Amino acid sequence: MATCDSATGSRQCCCSKRNATAVPDFLERLLSARFVVAVLSFMTICALAATLSLGKRPSQQFSEHNWASWAFQDFLTVREKPQVVFLGSSLVLVPVAGVDANFLNRRLDGSQHHRSFYFEQRFKEATGAPVRTFNLALPGEMPSDAYLMTDFLLDGEKKPDILIYGVGPRDFMDNILPSPASTDAFHSLARLGDVSRLLDRVMPEWTDKLNFKLGRTFYLYGKKEDLSVAASRLSSSVLARLAPVPPGKSAFTVEQRRQLMPLYHPCELTAGDAFFRPSRSEQSIDNLAEYRKRYATVRWDTFATQMRFFTELLDVARQREIHVVVVSMPVTDINRSLIADYAWLAYRQSVHVLATLKGATFIDLQGSGAFKTADFMDTVHLHSGGGKKMLDIIVDTLAQRASCALSAKPDVQKLCNSTQAL
Amino acid sequence: MLFNSLQYLVFLPTVFLLFWLIPHKLRVPLLLVSSYVFYMSWRPIYGLLILGLTVSNFLLVPLIARSVEQKTKKWWLAGVVAVNLVTLGIFKYANFGMQTVKDTFNIFGVNFHEPHLHIILPLGISFFVFEFIHYAVEVYRGKPLVKNFMDFALFASFFPTQIAGPIKRYQDFIPQLSIPSKFKWQYLDDGMQLILMGLFKKVIIADNLSLVAQAGFSHPASFSSLDLWLITYSFAFQIFFDFAGYTDIARGSAMLFGYKVPINFNLPYLASNVSNFWDRWHISLSTWLRDYLFIPLGGSRCSRLKVYRNLFITMALGGLWHGAAMHFFAWGVYQGVILIAHREYSRLLQKTGMASKLLSSKVYHVASIILTFHVVCIGWVLFRAESIKDAFFIIGKMLAAPAALLHFSVAQLSILQIRDPIIFPALLVILPVLMVAHVMVNWLNDKKLYLSPPWALQVGVMVALMCVLTIFSPDTSPRFIYFQF
Repeated sequence: MATCDSATGSRQCCCSKRNATAVPDFLERLLSARFVVAVLSFMTICALAATLSLGKRPSQQFSEHNWASWAFQDFLTVREKPQVVFLGSSLVLVPVAGVDANFLNRRLDGSQHHRSFYFEQRFKEATGAPVRTFNLALPGEMPSDAYLMTDFLLDGEKKPDILIYGVGPRDFMDNILPSPASTDAFHSLARLGDVSRLLDRVMPEWTDKLNFKLGRTFYLYGKKEDLSVAASRLSSSVLARLAPVPPGKSAFTVEQRRQLMPLYHPCELTAGDAFFRPSRSEQSIDNLAEYRKRYATVRWDTFATQMRFFTELLDVARQREIHVVVVSMPVTDINRSLIADYAWLAYRQSVHVLATLKGATFIDLQGSGAFKTADFMDTVHLHSGGGKKMLDIIVDTLAQRASCALSAKPDVQKLCNSTQAL
Repeated sequence: MLFNSLQYLVFLPTVFLLFWLIPHKLRVPLLLVSSYVFYMSWRPIYGLLILGLTVSNFLLVPLIARSVEQKTKKWWLAGVVAVNLVTLGIFKYANFGMQTVKDTFNIFGVNFHEPHLHIILPLGISFFVFEFIHYAVEVYRGKPLVKNFMDFALFASFFPTQIAGPIKRYQDFIPQLSIPSKFKWQYLDDGMQLILMGLFKKVIIADNLSLVAQAGFSHPASFSSLDLWLITYSFAFQIFFDFAGYTDIARGSAMLFGYKVPINFNLPYLASNVSNFWDRWHISLSTWLRDYLFIPLGGSRCSRLKVYRNLFITMALGGLWHGAAMHFFAWGVYQGVILIAHREYSRLLQKTGMASKLLSSKVYHVASIILTFHVVCIGWVLFRAESIKDAFFIIGKMLAAPAALLHFSVAQLSILQIRDPIIFPALLVILPVLMVAHVMVNWLNDKKLYLSPPWALQVGVMVALMCVLTIFSPDTSPRFIYFQF
């Protein structure tokens, strides 16, 4: 026990006594505050829910069907290992799928068709090697998405031998894109792996980072998508019993709903929503206005970030012994004229130099002069005729270089065994 | 900065902590700076607008007080009101005015290209301009001046009420600033309870109902008359929960600092007549319109025709206050007309001596609540429709509902067949629940349990709200409806 003889000592003693009572007093008040107790209870519920993995769905079960989730689900469930994988934006998707629609002479459901039968056939004809392809090119795909796909999907049993990555200028300088984390592909990919190490690059805004970290801290917030989908499905089934669709009536299709509410799940894609159709005569669509917006100002931070992801994609592929073929996709002169000369030069040179440095095969379709305006369905997308030309060039290049790659790349060697035999 | 944003989630606790940690004399400057940061986070340049109006009013209004002659006082008041209204007019009504002039000339076959001013409506301008006018008129009526510039500037810019009210009265607000209050846990508890409740109203109820309103009002031809009634009910509850949610968050945020701001709603859909509706709906605006427009026009102490004229002008201008568009004006006109009709009806009842008998009947009371709700709903069509033409099309179709009800079947309700999002098929459950909730709250209002609920119940409600908001809040939420005004 402390004694308090002097005046100073008494004061100190009183203060310490007061402090001693003040602290429990404060704690008592704090813990009797409704809001504080509510927050503590909420945190306890989050911790309990995390322990029980409440409502958590397998990572491959995506909450919404869109171009990305269909492709990833198909890739993850397909039994055969694809030897050749395509990556890229709609610049790759549209011609590759369009060529198949013509080749097979039937319409192809965009949500289900993820191969290139034409490429497989042409490759076999050129090299003698049968290959299985998988098309992971998606509308709006950025190098950041392509990198994450390479990192999260193209590994282990599903590691391909060849990765054909078609790039265009928009991939590196899209003004419309708020951040790399804002694409559908990123949203789906974030379920398949840990993106926290990339936070500074994929979520440059502090609010996005905070949002991500809140999701990590509070289980209910982090798993809100899974939980709300589960709740929605449960209430849907209850409502379907309570108020079924009356006889003679049918529920609204996604397309009908989209007309009424264009902003509700705008990127949702259900089976039968989008088809690639065989076509003989190609009509030209003017999409310059859209690209004017995309290229309005060159955002160098976006350019640098996406170029870094492109480099890292090449690094990851090299580490995993996947041979990358970088294809510089052609765009029309009129579309190219929307891009400032210095930005165009930066894009062209960076892609070329990086691809060469990292040991990738570089096919310069833009500089080849092989593509005329008549090969395009708009100012950037090749139509099926142009797409056929593109795939022919890629197959021919691969076939020509197969022997060179033999010694260096054992995986490519496998592919080229038949070529050797021939 | 939106109340339902992550920015606000960081901003509010930061200001709250600083406010209670610093000495009392620094609190008003802190709130003032915070309020300007809040406002300027949207468009920094518009900080100058609110500052300019604040300085102008602070300097000009004392001239009203200092004038000895009544005539001079009046001139100064007119000048101050003009400064505020001209500013509002330029930013809010300039393009609308020019378009209206052009349309009028077009009727007479005169065509010209009107100049289009590229003006973005400053957030909250209608609200703070009304607060300035209120101050000027009150000073003119003999109320004291605000001497301290900081207090006055905070009155106009106080961030919880800055964007969409409630429209404050300076006599109520300014005195609170000088009370050196100490922190009470109750401020935190009550404030956060209101904020959570407000977020629930906005994010969970209003935002989901907004999908129904958006689908229905953008494609009215795709729906039957009964569908359009369901869509209109949805909008009626959407706008109520959107604005009531905003007001709760505003009041809760103010309460965190120990300040009280006025309420805006008192179960409006339980109003038994349209006059009663305006006593319960957007109370701070309706009382403002009464005090600073209806009464100066002559109020109800004049001939019957003049009273009706005053009512009509007040409500028509009140409609236009909501937005520079013809459908808002039509909504205001409609409110004026139904208020006049109600006055005439009440007069008729009084004259025939039926009033006391009828009004005391419970059946009449319930019927009048239902009728009032539907009359108000027709007004909401004018408010929400994308054009006057659409509004009349929808109302015309809705009026055919009695015939449709004669051979009613659920199959007539196409809106329920939109199965995703879930709000559509759930409408038949949700809309009655929301109405019953109104009745329940009204019944509970004077019950002891409701006035001072048990501690554990309050905690339980807050935890439930936190869980629901965490799981079901969408990644992006539409802006509050009243932000555009």
